[in-house]
Amino acid sequence: MFNPYVSNRNVILIYGAVWILIGLIHFTILFNVLQIDFEYAVWDSVIYNFLFAVVGLSLWFPSRYITFENYSVSRVLLNHFAAALLVTGIWLFAGYLILIFAVKVDKTGYDFIINTLLVRFVTGLMFYVIITSLNYTLIYYTNFREQVVKESKLNSLVKEAELKSLKYQINPHFIFNSLNSISSLTISNPTKAQEMTIKLSSFLRGTLSRNDNQKVKLKEEIQNIKLYLDIEKIRFEDKFDLVENVSDECKETQVPSMILQPIFENAIKHGVYESIENVVINVDCKKENDYLRIIVTNDYDPESVPRKGEGIGLKNIQNRLQLIYNQDNLLTYKKENNKFIVTLYIPL
Amino acid sequence: MNDKVKVVIVDDERLARDILKNYIREHDNVELIAECTNGFEGVKSINDLKPDLVFLDIQMPKITGFEMLELLETTPQIIFTTAYDQYALKAFEVNATDYLLKPFAYDRFDEALAKAIDKMADRGKSKEAIEKLVNHKDQSDEKLDRVVVKSGQKITVIPVEDLQYLEAQDDYVMLHTKQGNHLKQKTMKYFEEHLQANKFIRVHRSYIVNLNEIEELYLHEKETYRALLKCGDKIPVSKSGYSNLKEFLK
Repeated sequence: MFNPYVSNRNVILIYGAVWILIGLIHFTILFNVLQIDFEYAVWDSVIYNFLFAVVGLSLWFPSRYITFENYSVSRVLLNHFAAALLVTGIWLFAGYLILIFAVKVDKTGYDFIINTLLVRFVTGLMFYVIITSLNYTLIYYTNFREQVVKESKLNSLVKEAELKSLKYQINPHFIFNSLNSISSLTISNPTKAQEMTIKLSSFLRGTLSRNDNQKVKLKEEIQNIKLYLDIEKIRFEDKFDLVENVSDECKETQVPSMILQPIFENAIKHGVYESIENVVINVDCKKENDYLRIIVTNDYDPESVPRKGEGIGLKNIQNRLQLIYNQDNLLTYKKENNKFIVTLYIPL
Repeated sequence: MNDKVKVVIVDDERLARDILKNYIREHDNVELIAECTNGFEGVKSINDLKPDLVFLDIQMPKITGFEMLELLETTPQIIFTTAYDQYALKAFEVNATDYLLKPFAYDRFDEALAKAIDKMADRGKSKEAIEKLVNHKDQSDEKLDRVVVKSGQKITVIPVEDLQYLEAQDDYVMLHTKQGNHLKQKTMKYFEEHLQANKFIRVHRSYIVNLNEIEELYLHEKETYRALLKCGDKIPVSKSGYSNLKEFLK
């Protein structure tokens, strides 16, 4: 980040004006109150205040990098205390050198500097404290404003994702086709019709009551998916099987809600709908380092020609994971030996 | 000859077929002659058995109901049965016999069947209807992502990326692919409109070429060019075709 004092014209003008005012006060104290020689009073106030004005600009950087986020409070204070002593010391010494060797003040001036050394030192420390406090105020104010902007951006992204996922979560054709199956079963097998109605209701209730920001146990997520698969199984008469390999430990892990649903919908859509053979859907879950690794595999008919819309569901998951975990490499998929393999990493 | 209305059902879900079977059983003048579980079976059964009426699902494995229609040699009445209202409405607009949105009531089925029987009194009309139906699909703005062709009993689904070039042959279009050539009863205009314009270019009255397949373009005679394709074939490029091509080869 640039030094905001230098990069903004108005700020540098105000900064300069304030220092001129301080210089004038300095001069008034020397000339009118302490009755010091006019020429010496001018040199003293100009040189010392000009020097601090320049040094003050560079104080932005320690304030910027010694932050309360990175260091403990005592470290910050200690750092600034050391910096204040150093800066004030250099300032006094430089001013002294200039006045003695460049302006060539006489013995009275020299004595005056030495006698007022303590006052000057305290003033220097005070300048340091004031400037540093201003810097911190500025930094935190800017951060705060950035935070507000970022948050509102994130909010709108979340909203957008919510809307999108609402659109994708419940596929209306799935509902209508299921209702058609129920309609058919009411004639041929009323018990099964009732079973399917209840399963469809539970699934819809589970889906509708969840929202995107929520996290649920993997166990619950899988439960809802099983409901979905059960319904599809009635429709497609066991044209597919689910092979589950998820340990109890994994089942207790928190995952974003509805994160797996679209993967299974894809598996059904591209694996089962498009195939006339029996299809196996595999779900395998394992803890790996700091991640929960979930692999969903399904057979697909290599001869079926991909149709439009493939990958929208997966893109959607990718976006959500990125939004939640700030990582864009959590979902990968590939086709291998007539199998479609989706690998998902959920940070623990 | 049997006076009964001969019906074929094409649907990949047994429960969906069951409900149709149940409804059909209520009618003595209707006879179910075949049940098909996918488009391939559907094409074979319909071409072999020549039914009067087909209840046709749209989303099925292998090929869709609409693609299946393109491969029929006969023109039965078509009643769509689907959960997708976007297709069904389209079919309705062009006078398909009827569409049934799943799930549908017995009364609604009855109505559709009555309509079909009415129309059967005039077969000419129904032929017109199905041609319109197929052509209507042609008129949609949707770009093709695959083409279905049939030679003898074999049905092939060709992804459009596999098309090397298309060549006009009387009332047909010859589709050239790495795996072989296929004839399709369509017009060049149809393909020109339904293939992605930035991937397939009409380079000549009788040729459309896949841009990716062009190896080299060379001057043949004054103002006429030839395109050498990766497959080794050379195809003529007309003056206007050349200017079409130039935009994309820049």
